Amino acid sequence: MTDVQDKPAVAPTPVEKASGGVAATLFRFQSVFGLLAVFVAAIIFSPRRDGEILFLSADNLANVVRAVSEIGIIAVGMTFVILIGGIDLSVGAVLGLAAVGSAVLMVESDWGFLPSIVVVLAIGLVFGALQGMATAMIGIQSFIVTLAGLQIARGLARIWSDGQGVAIAYGDGPNEAPSTFALLGERTFGGLVPIPVLIFAVVAIAAVVFLRISAFSRHLYAVGGNEKAARLSGVPVIRVKIAVFAICGLLAALAGVVHAVQLNQGSPNDGIGYELDAIAAVVIGGTSLAGGRGSVAGTVAGALLLGVLNNVLALNNIDSNIQLLIKGLVIVAAAALQRLRPAS
Amino acid sequence: MKIPKSTLAVAAVTALALAGCGTTSERTSDEPQAQSSKACKGADGKYVIGMSQANVAEPYRQRMDDDIKAAAAEVPQFEVKFADAAQDNAKQVADVENYITQQIDLLIISPNEAKPLTAVVKKAYDKGIPVLVLDRKVEGDAYTGFIGGDNVQIGTEAGKYVAEKVLPNGGNVVEIKGLAGATPQAERNQGFAAGIKANPKVKVVATASGDWLREKGQAQMDALLKANPKIDVVYAHNDPMAEGAYLAAKAVGREKEMKFIGIDALPIPSGGIKAVEQGRLTATFTYPTNGKEAIAAAKKILVDCGTIEKSQILPTRLIDKANAAQIYAQENPTG
Repeated sequence: MTDVQDKPAVAPTPVEKASGGVAATLFRFQSVFGLLAVFVAAIIFSPRRDGEILFLSADNLANVVRAVSEIGIIAVGMTFVILIGGIDLSVGAVLGLAAVGSAVLMVESDWGFLPSIVVVLAIGLVFGALQGMATAMIGIQSFIVTLAGLQIARGLARIWSDGQGVAIAYGDGPNEAPSTFALLGERTFGGLVPIPVLIFAVVAIAAVVFLRISAFSRHLYAVGGNEKAARLSGVPVIRVKIAVFAICGLLAALAGVVHAVQLNQGSPNDGIGYELDAIAAVVIGGTSLAGGRGSVAGTVAGALLLGVLNNVLALNNIDSNIQLLIKGLVIVAAAALQRLRPAS
Repeated sequence: MKIPKSTLAVAAVTALALAGCGTTSERTSDEPQAQSSKACKGADGKYVIGMSQANVAEPYRQRMDDDIKAAAAEVPQFEVKFADAAQDNAKQVADVENYITQQIDLLIISPNEAKPLTAVVKKAYDKGIPVLVLDRKVEGDAYTGFIGGDNVQIGTEAGKYVAEKVLPNGGNVVEIKGLAGATPQAERNQGFAAGIKANPKVKVVATASGDWLREKGQAQMDALLKANPKIDVVYAHNDPMAEGAYLAAKAVGREKEMKFIGIDALPIPSGGIKAVEQGRLTATFTYPTNGKEAIAAAKKILVDCGTIEKSQILPTRLIDKANAAQIYAQENPTG
C-alpha cells in the first residue's frame, strides 16, 4: 500500500523518502496508527461481562465490520474522486436509487438476480459517468455537478418507488426476490464473516491492486496533483475524470445493493447523509481534499476507525449527541494532522 | 515538522474516548439468559434496559425518551440506556446489535420502519431478551409486546368532533395531511373520513400534503386560503402543521373565521396542548408516547415475573380549552 501513497504529481521525486525517519513513517500511516490507537482504546474502555471483553467478541467484531461495509465500499470510490481533486456528493442518493432499483426489479418486476444486479450497477456506472462528463467536458465544478446529481438520483428513486419503501421477501413465487439475493446478506466461514464485509474487502483489494499495476494510477495522481501539467504531459484528463466518476457511481450502486439485502427493503430515503460519512473516512484516511495525495488503504483504515469508534461509543452508551461531537472532533483532528505532514 | 502525526491522533482520540467514557456498563450478573422466562430476577435484581429510538429530532420521539426516563427513575432496579438512529434504518440495526452485545435485560424499540428492523428485533428476541415495540410495529410476532396508539381511531374521533361539536350545521373542511406514504398519514385520513360521515353537510373541500412540518403546513395553507373563500375547519394530521396553518390564516387576517384541529398533543412548551390553552388551536387529540406504559410493562416482565399482553392499544383523548391547562400540568408538572 505504500506504493500508491503520495505519488507525486508528474515526475517522481524522492522528497518523501528523503525526509525519512520515524516521523515520516508515522505520518505516512496516519490512519493505520489512528485505527490501532482507537482499537486499543476500544479494548480498554470496552464493557466486560464475566471477564469477557465485549468489544472483542467475535459477534461484535463482525457487527463492526458489517456496519462499515457500505460506507467502506462508497469511500473507496470517493477516494478515487478526491484523488483527482474532485468530490462526489451524490453517492448516498445513488445508493438509495440502487437499493430501490434492486427491490423494484427483483420484487415487483420479478427479474432474476443477475439481470437485476447488472442493470442496477450499470445505472450507477452511467450516472457517475454522466456526472464525470459534466465536470470534465463542460467544466462545471464537481461539487455543483454532484449536488445536482444528488437531487436527481433522489428524485429518480422516489419516482421509481412511488415514494415508498419496497419490502423484499425471498422465495420463488411471484413478487419475491430470488433466494440467491438473500445470500448476499448472510454470513460465511462458519457464520463468522458477513458477506457484505467480503464484498467490501474484495472492492478494497481490487482498488489497491488496480492502482498499483495500471497506468491509470499514474494518470489519476497526475490529474489530482496538477491538472494543467498532466494535460500538457499527455495525460487524457477528460477520460480519467469520466472513468473516476463512473467508478465512484458504480461502487455507490454496489453499496446500494448491499444495503437493500441487509435491510430487506429498498427505500428512496436510504443512504441520506452517507456521502458525508464516506468523505469523513477518506479524510481520516489521510487523503488530501486538494487532490493528488492519499491512498485506498488509508481510506479503508479510516472507515474502520470510524466503525470502531461508533461501536465503542455505543457499547459505553455515550449520549448520541455527545457521539456526534466526538466524531466531529476526530475528523478535525485528522485534517489538522494533515497540515502538519511534511510537504512532498 | 517532526511531530509524529499519528501520536497526536492517538492522543486526540484517546483523550476524546476518555472524556466520553463516563459510564461503563459493567455488571455482576451471573449468566446470560437463555429464555425470556429467565429474564426475571425479581425485585432483588438489577436490570439494564436498552431503548432504541428511531429519531430524536422529532419532538414526539424525544418526548417518548423523556417519558421512559422519567418512568424508569421511579423503578430503582432499572437503568435505561438510549440510542438514536437519526432516521437511518441501518444505524438502528447496529444500535440493536450493540445492545445484544451488551447483553441488556430488555429491549425497548420504536422502529424507524417495520421491514428493515424485523430481523434484528427477532435476533434479540431469539436470544431471550424480552422486546417491547412502541408506536410502529415490526413484522411477524418475534417480540414480547407492542404498545401504541390507534391512528384510525384518533382520526375518527377528530372527524366525529368536527361533525358533531364544531360544525353541527355543516361546513367546509380543509385537510392538511402528513408525509405521503407514511402509514399514520393514511390512517388519520381514513379515520377522519369515517368520522365525519355522521354529518353529510360537513365536506372536505380541499386537501394538501404538509409532510408533518410546520413550515410546509403554513405554505400549503397559504395556497388553500387563496383557493377557498370559505373555510370553517382546518384538520391537520399533526399539531405543528395546524399551527403553521394558523399562522398562514393570521397573516391574511382570516384566523377568526375558522377553527384549527390538530393531533399529537405533546405536553411540551411547543406542543399542541399549549396551543389549545393559548387559543390558537381549538382542539387536539393525544397520540400516546407509550413511554410510561413501556416501563410499566418492563417492570411486570422483569421485576414481577408476570406476562403482558401481546398488543396494548392506548386510547386517545380530546384536548380542548376546558381541560388543556389541567392536562398540561398533570403530564408535565415541571414546565
